[in-house]
Amino acid sequence: MSALASRRAQPQRPAKPGPGRRSSPMSWRWGDRLALAFAWIAGIGLCVIAAAIVLYMGYRGIEYLRPKLLFSRPAVGTSQSDTGGFLDPLLGTALLTVIGIALAVPLAVSSAVWISEYGRPTWVARVVESSIEIVAGTPDIVIALFGLAIFQLHLFAPFSFTASGGGVFGRSFIAAGAMMSLIALPPLFTATRDGLQSVPAHMREAAFALGKTRIATIRRVLLPSVRSNIATGVTLGVSRIIGDTAIVVLLLGESLRLESQGSAPVVGMLRGTGSTLTSYVYDNSPAGEGAAPQKAYAAAFVLLVLVLGLNLLVDRIGRSQADSIGLTAAGAIV
Amino acid sequence: MTRIRRLSVALAVAGVLGVAAPAAATALTTVTISGATASYPLVQLLAQKYVKTHPHKVRFKITQGGAQIGINNVASGASTIGDVSRDPVESDPKGLVFYPIAKYAICVITNKANPLANLTQAQVISIFTGKTRAWSGVAGATASGTIDLISRTSVAGVLTNFQTLLLENKKVSSIAAEEPSEGLLRQQVENDPNSIGFASNYQSDKGGVNPVGVNGIGCNKANAVSGQYAGVARFYEVTKGKATGAASAFIGWIGRSAAARKIINTQWISIS
Amino acid sequence: MLSRLRNPWPDRRAERTLGAVSLLLGVLVVAMLVFVGVHAWPTFQHNGLSWLGPKGNLETQIANMQATGQRPPASAYRLGAWPFVYGTLLSTAVAVALALGVAVLSSIFIVELAPARLRRVAIPVIRVLASVPSVIYGLIGVLVLVPFVGNHLITGSEKASVQNVVELTGAGLIVTVVILTVMITPIMVALICEAFVSVPNSWREGAIALGVNPVRAMLAVTVRAARPAIVAAVVLATARALGEAVMISMVSGSRSFVPKPIDGLIFLFEPLRTLASAIVDYHEGVGAPPLAATLYALALLLLFSAFVLSIAGYLIKLPLRRYQVSG
Repeated sequence: MSALASRRAQPQRPAKPGPGRRSSPMSWRWGDRLALAFAWIAGIGLCVIAAAIVLYMGYRGIEYLRPKLLFSRPAVGTSQSDTGGFLDPLLGTALLTVIGIALAVPLAVSSAVWISEYGRPTWVARVVESSIEIVAGTPDIVIALFGLAIFQLHLFAPFSFTASGGGVFGRSFIAAGAMMSLIALPPLFTATRDGLQSVPAHMREAAFALGKTRIATIRRVLLPSVRSNIATGVTLGVSRIIGDTAIVVLLLGESLRLESQGSAPVVGMLRGTGSTLTSYVYDNSPAGEGAAPQKAYAAAFVLLVLVLGLNLLVDRIGRSQADSIGLTAAGAIV
Repeated sequence: MTRIRRLSVALAVAGVLGVAAPAAATALTTVTISGATASYPLVQLLAQKYVKTHPHKVRFKITQGGAQIGINNVASGASTIGDVSRDPVESDPKGLVFYPIAKYAICVITNKANPLANLTQAQVISIFTGKTRAWSGVAGATASGTIDLISRTSVAGVLTNFQTLLLENKKVSSIAAEEPSEGLLRQQVENDPNSIGFASNYQSDKGGVNPVGVNGIGCNKANAVSGQYAGVARFYEVTKGKATGAASAFIGWIGRSAAARKIINTQWISIS
Repeated sequence: MLSRLRNPWPDRRAERTLGAVSLLLGVLVVAMLVFVGVHAWPTFQHNGLSWLGPKGNLETQIANMQATGQRPPASAYRLGAWPFVYGTLLSTAVAVALALGVAVLSSIFIVELAPARLRRVAIPVIRVLASVPSVIYGLIGVLVLVPFVGNHLITGSEKASVQNVVELTGAGLIVTVVILTVMITPIMVALICEAFVSVPNSWREGAIALGVNPVRAMLAVTVRAARPAIVAAVVLATARALGEAVMISMVSGSRSFVPKPIDGLIFLFEPLRTLASAIVDYHEGVGAPPLAATLYALALLLLFSAFVLSIAGYLIKLPLRRYQVSG
């Protein structure tokens, strides 16, 4: 929040007027006094709630998280001690993130570059911007159903597998990853486009003056200078992918362990099913099957640590840039 | 630049090899099974044993969702085998073949803080159809307050059988909470001192709940085997048309092999 | 051929390729609308617009859908989705209204009233709240809030008074609304704070110079000037609340029940189901064609409302344009 920070740093202005100059709340109207009280309550309340959530999850996490859980594979068992850990969900989260970002980055960066550097004809530009807004505003459950509709077509049968009755299963890492890329697309696009638009015109003009074509300028001058914006966008996208549950529940096949489909090494994994930290927490909570709240707390703690770590990373990247972006772009908003 | 290009070509070739290579590898058939939550533990154990004794032949993908979901999945071709915990009914799609694999008992369960020993069938009907709504109306109950009915969602085979066998075909009241699986139903009953529900004997034998006898006959394996207990039903494996290939081998193995019978007899009752 | 890929591309080819890739996004969105619409069509064909109205017990209707096999009769498609629509409207409206109040007040606090040290803490706090995954909110809700409400807030006599209609377990409207509010407030706070800060200081100071107290100056000047941003924040928050599926499925009691305000205090404890949480709850039933069509119809309704929301936001902001301070 640049303007906020600069206001804080304004020098030499008498910050607090002398006694008797500042109006005391005792002289205000009742409505204003109530507003003052509620504003304080709201502000402090939000901080208290955030602290409570983090501290409670931390307390439960430390209570239930054992390093063994991070490295042992989950198993089907009847009691807590033989249901294993959550290595497979961790790997599933990582795999899904990689697929999602790998699909989102080319699409988002290409669109952002085209919108900010070319942008003609204008109707196409408007269509593209509106599409990004629509994708950003679509609930993830709708995107998940859309993914199910697409990947259960016979055309896409190689991306999952076909049951012997003829129905396409439609759920696999590829299916979930493709839809996750739609989730990660808007923050990535916005960050890149804002970065490109804030590159000063003289850099482009200097490159043109030296005889470079537009595409060469983009490749050699502009994209390297918005690297940190792209990094911010990627981090935001990753934190959205990690935190998403609906797409995983519908599109990942919900097998406890990573199970590859077919025998090809990498492609088999992509066509196979598995679970992620979010679906593991959901399944072990009283809403799912596992009846294992301890494991759910442990996995949720790991998830929270990951997401908070990513937030710190966004902060760090944002601060290392020459001009600070402000709360909105560097925060978790689209 | 050339080194990068060579590296990328090498990677591409490796990738293509990775896709095409396993022509020599044995093709594992995948059998998808979905359906009842009551028979899920049994079918999982059976599948695990089958894979151990017949290695490198078959892979199983087992999911749950409810007996009706299993039937719908088999009929639509999404699953090879359906786990069904109820007998076939009129509205089932034509062409499905039901293979019985085991028997189980449906027990009425209450919370441990409410150690009801027995209910008459009339009491069971009156409680589950919603006529009696307070524990004060149930003789022998130590709980007080409203009766919290815990039932299953409509896709459950156990629900259909419970209504047929123990409720004289009356329907469970719509006030009841509907849990999507047996495990969740048992959890709810474990956590709520005022609750009452029903589940297969596998769940009630786990210990956290109090099984209630019906008409003086306790709900346990001995009474189920002897035929005294009224609420005994069957697990079926269902296929579209007669079972073929890997599915037929698996179902046949369940029926014939001694190892399968041993697994069934741990918690359930084998069909003999 | 490889040389075409290797040599620097001419601008025209690059522009057209990038443009085509960008247009792919538009194609994707159209594909989404088409696919969801085509799969949802059978439901609307058999029900018409009365699909949005009440038609009796929803759970019975869905059970009927799942029992009728692969060639269902027309009657199997019968559904009145009103309980879902009502649940969504109720939970979203109350949560957004609460969040709006809390967000504006918190923003006033952060921008104006907080001492400098507290202000520095508030920004990370808001970011933390905004980035917590919804499944963690759901976990805390179902393991902490629901038992608390069920065991300590709902009295035996309250349960007994509705015992012939519905069971009260603690999972219901109030837990849903509370968690939803906590989820969407940070989104609004971030946007509103940014807008407050970009209102020129001189406007507010002018009001103070005329003798208005600081809080009133904020309310009368800054908040009014930031109205376009507040509308944008409300639109964003409503879209988020509409689409929340997993968390609501965990804490709402998952019964297609219509909570009635007439019931008094008990109304807060009654269970409900929203459009999005219904999709999560029933997603395993896509093997039954009528249920699959219903789920897609629910998704279409969600898509449609997200669309309507952004248009409504745009329209509301139009007359406020003259107050626009900066972009």
